[in-house]
Amino acid sequence: MRKYLTLFRVNWQNSLQYRASTVIYIVGYGLYISVLLYLWHSVYQSGKQMGAYSVSDMMTYYLLQMIMNTVILSYISWDLIDQIREGFFSNFLIKPVNTLAYWFTINLSGKLLEIIYIGTTLLVLYLTFGKYFVLPPDWKTGGIFLICLFLALCLSFLLDFCIAMIAFWLIQVRVFKFMLQYIIFFFAGAILPLDLFPEWLRGIIYALPFQYIIFVPIQIYLGKISVSWDFFLRELAWIFFFLVLARLMLARGIRRYEAVGG
Amino acid sequence: MRRSEVDGVKTLKRYLSLYRSFLSHNLKNEMIYRTNFLILIVMDFFFMGVNVVFFALILDKVESIGGWNFNQMLILIGTVGIVREMAYLTFRQGFLNIGDYIRTGEFDLLLVKPVSPQFHLGFRHISLTESLGEGIMGVLLVVTGYLRLPPEAALNIPVYIVFLLISLVIYYSFCLIVNSAVFWIIKSQELNTVVYYFMETARYPRDIFKGFGKALFTFVIPVSLIATTPASILAGKTDPRLLLLTAGVAAGLLLIGTMVWRVSIRHYSSASS
Repeated sequence: MRKYLTLFRVNWQNSLQYRASTVIYIVGYGLYISVLLYLWHSVYQSGKQMGAYSVSDMMTYYLLQMIMNTVILSYISWDLIDQIREGFFSNFLIKPVNTLAYWFTINLSGKLLEIIYIGTTLLVLYLTFGKYFVLPPDWKTGGIFLICLFLALCLSFLLDFCIAMIAFWLIQVRVFKFMLQYIIFFFAGAILPLDLFPEWLRGIIYALPFQYIIFVPIQIYLGKISVSWDFFLRELAWIFFFLVLARLMLARGIRRYEAVGG
Repeated sequence: MRRSEVDGVKTLKRYLSLYRSFLSHNLKNEMIYRTNFLILIVMDFFFMGVNVVFFALILDKVESIGGWNFNQMLILIGTVGIVREMAYLTFRQGFLNIGDYIRTGEFDLLLVKPVSPQFHLGFRHISLTESLGEGIMGVLLVVTGYLRLPPEAALNIPVYIVFLLISLVIYYSFCLIVNSAVFWIIKSQELNTVVYYFMETARYPRDIFKGFGKALFTFVIPVSLIATTPASILAGKTDPRLLLLTAGVAAGLLLIGTMVWRVSIRHYSSASS
């Protein structure tokens, strides 16, 4: 455990070194979200409503999406792919660490810093659109929302890790990875709330695991779905599935690994 | 012709021939990865498709978005794709590499070459394929939207093309200003993510912005002009004031961009040794 704590601290200091770029990224994404808020504001001006969303629900949806995009979604695969391609991955083979746990720690440590930055950006957006922002209906809902966020963090990390593992098989993996990430983003409900899609498409989307990353937690936050045990079990089953898949891909990948340049 | 004019023509000719050789060199490079090429096109079609679906779903519920109906929105979405492809055929790819140049100290080589570093950086890496799918799909969307609207004066098409070029100038200047920060922060990945979101937000019509947002997205981060202005010409929404404003912002931004770049480049400390 202690070595992971050290890793956490080292990576935290590393991220601090590049804090300017993180701030720039968050400001850029904040601007993107603010344009979307303007869009929804304009759409609701006509007096019509999108599905079951009031204008406040919609604004809250995108503000939460913005937080989760930074705090929940995992982006470690960029680094991981580079390490595999350039041969630095060999370091893991000789270190006494669990590769999955190593990258999960890196992911967590990066997130903690981003939470601080995103708080600042949110404050600015809050000054402009604050009157539309709603809080969860009660404390219990808020608590369940936080649990769902943590599960979403795990699921997103495992998916990202599996995507990075493809680098063992494909050399030109970046484009492919970008496409997969965008598809996950889309089916997670980051672009449009999933219940606004046509009936036939919803059937497919709800059968996929990606909804748990963004759409489901926000629905819980807004009090639009109530949670039952079998619901958590289904999400945990998906997490377990991707955990097994990630370990399998890692084991197989290492056997194929050529240690280019190493 | 006066002497300065002769020099000007000579420089222009030299840059054009340089651009040609950069282009052919890069194309040969791109042809190596044929599967990559196909994936890129499929991906672009998918992205553009998602955008069309997004607006179709909204316009299924409301009649217009800031006064733009579905056919007009097709022109707007398509225009973003066209401007993006134009940018990849010129400067965009080069700026994606600037971080590597700075970090490795390779930027030294650019400074000693007998070409302006701004030109060299902007045009050394040209990509036809990076955004080709978006370009093709963009043209298709613009044509579809245009044909489904009541006929417009044919003169509008050349005006549209001129304003595509003006939008390209805005895009270039913004890219230049944002990437100037690389001399301080060394990493350029996040800077270019900002440039990416800049174009992502261009496909929402200017009319949705109000008050402070409208000023911000016109003069500081001109996303509300870059696609809306050219698209408005084909969508039957031509407004001479908007055209003038866009041309003015483009000129101003290019001037500021060049100035910011010149100041920033002095901050470069070589990393090679």
